[in-house]
Amino acid sequence: MESNQIVKRYKTRQRIIDVLPFFALVLLFGLFCAVVQAKGYRLDMYLRIIFNEGIVLAVVATGAVFIYSLGSFDISLGASTLFSATLGVMTYNATQSLPLMILVIFGVAIGCSLLSSVLASVFHIPVFVTTVAMMSVLSAIAAQIITTNGGALGGISIPSEVVAPLDNMGFKIAVLAAFWLICFFVFNYTKIGRREKFLGGNPVCAKLSGIKINTYAIIAFVMAGIGVGLGAFLTLVYTPSVTASTASSIGMNIVVAIVFGGMPISGGPRSRIYSALVGGFSYILLNNILKLIVDSGVGYGVSQIVAAVCFLAVVYVTGINYRSKQLPR
Amino acid sequence: MKTSRKIIGTLAIPCIVTAILLILCAIGGKSMIANRTGFNYFVQYTAIVMITTMALSVNLNSGRFDFSLGSMAVLSSVLAAKVTQQLLHGGTGSAIAMLVFGILFGAILGLASGALYVSLKIPPIITSLGVTLIYEGVTFTVTSGKYVMDEVRNPSMTAFAGNWYFPAILIVVVLALMIYLFDHTRFGYDYKALQSGQKVAVNTGIREVPNALLCYVICGALMGLVGFLNAARSSNINGGALNFGSIGIMFTAFLPMFIGGYIGRFSNDKLGYFLAAVCMSMLNSTFAAFSNEISASMQSIINAVLLVVFLIYLNNEGLLKKLFKPIKA
Repeated sequence: MESNQIVKRYKTRQRIIDVLPFFALVLLFGLFCAVVQAKGYRLDMYLRIIFNEGIVLAVVATGAVFIYSLGSFDISLGASTLFSATLGVMTYNATQSLPLMILVIFGVAIGCSLLSSVLASVFHIPVFVTTVAMMSVLSAIAAQIITTNGGALGGISIPSEVVAPLDNMGFKIAVLAAFWLICFFVFNYTKIGRREKFLGGNPVCAKLSGIKINTYAIIAFVMAGIGVGLGAFLTLVYTPSVTASTASSIGMNIVVAIVFGGMPISGGPRSRIYSALVGGFSYILLNNILKLIVDSGVGYGVSQIVAAVCFLAVVYVTGINYRSKQLPR
Repeated sequence: MKTSRKIIGTLAIPCIVTAILLILCAIGGKSMIANRTGFNYFVQYTAIVMITTMALSVNLNSGRFDFSLGSMAVLSSVLAAKVTQQLLHGGTGSAIAMLVFGILFGAILGLASGALYVSLKIPPIITSLGVTLIYEGVTFTVTSGKYVMDEVRNPSMTAFAGNWYFPAILIVVVLALMIYLFDHTRFGYDYKALQSGQKVAVNTGIREVPNALLCYVICGALMGLVGFLNAARSSNINGGALNFGSIGIMFTAFLPMFIGGYIGRFSNDKLGYFLAAVCMSMLNSTFAAFSNEISASMQSIINAVLLVVFLIYLNNEGLLKKLFKPIKA
């Protein structure tokens, strides 16, 4: 009888935890609209800013869920986005061809991801260290190209009219929806997703069951590479210029977004593809709400502290059902 | 293991690195350390790298990844500089006072970070993300996002930065303390037990929480020291790093940590970190000698490639030995 009650309590808690990220997103959206209205600013303009900031993070993070579900970690995705966008701009400026630019962006993004996965899976280098090295190399090369060809501050750019027809909500929503649906399907309804969650949850057992770890690691990195490619392309559509600081914070923001969306950093069966989308937009909304409320230069520090406290609170609540006797590692 | 093998194993990497870099300098007609100032920088950089590496390894070797090291160094040095300025107005003994306050504030910040981890019981990597954002936010608020300069530019700090023996004394003291703490005290024995078998260690009665807290305190104190050394070296502290801008400080410690771990197989891992820091400092001095030929971007790339190559060797040592083993007739 008592064990039934415990199970019931556990399930109720879990249901609440599962709904919490969506609830937080709706709440933050409502709060954002209220703050913008109260300040007397144009809501449509601010919503467009949120959308454009959030979509790049959401797309890259959605692809990254495949890596995180394995229990791995990649902080080079921001640098990958910068590098892909840089080479994309260079290609366009050399050939004046938009299709070729898109091809290069995706080729480079997937290539960088594949290189990370090969180093990690074939040469057995810890994934995190590989991505730290990749981050240094990619951002250094991109910075070198940008500085040489356009200057550190001004950066390099393509003519805005090239991507202007694509800079609309309809196109971006279509891109996000298409990528998200593909990822949702692969992650939830194919053996790729199931096996990746299995590998993240119990790698030893998964290996003993005959699952090839390297194969699924490479697939995960390719999916993340596609996300990076899309993110780099959408970045160029929104702002057709690239500087050394473009997408610099994406790498770490992905981690925050995924966790904010209710997914554990350890991956495994509790990984959710929607976490990236929900968490990405929630985090962007929270940051912008705080920027609006604390409206001064020094306020950036205060708003970051508040965002961090909210982040820790969300993680604490979402992990409440999974406390162990030992300290987690 | 034979003593001769231990000595060769310990000194092989430092000797090889020294030989290669000296040959490169000779070919390029440069001097690795041209004058007294160059030697001061060399010893200071050795101290910074060694202490950062030790701070990183304390938690990382126990499976606790800590992103907040950089933010701890920056915040503790900012607070120490402000308090020292209030008390001594840049007069005699300012450097010593800032050093002591830096260690003290660093230890307090480390304790706060550890307390958050053990009380929330969420994965350390997540806690450290939140803590990084909080500490960066506090630093930004305290400094108004500006560089701290007046507080660290005084005769006392100049004297500290201009003499190699001050950082040399710090190297000796930190090395001796770390060897004593981790290899000759009950805390160290418990640390090693928890490191190699957390569940078994906890079940045998080792108190994990105080051990973890002390690790965070040590880590914080070491980063306070790093913050002070960085401030003395560059005569300013950047208070404007937000959105994970401070995590770069710890990336310099990855390569020496792995090299130090390798050397530690033959002697002691802390001694290994010191020797690895000497190697990194020699590399840095060589980069400085060739600064006209090798740009900052190229230096980042070289460092990252060295990290990857060393890790490829480290993680495939057995395979490489098998490949190059002479075939018996």
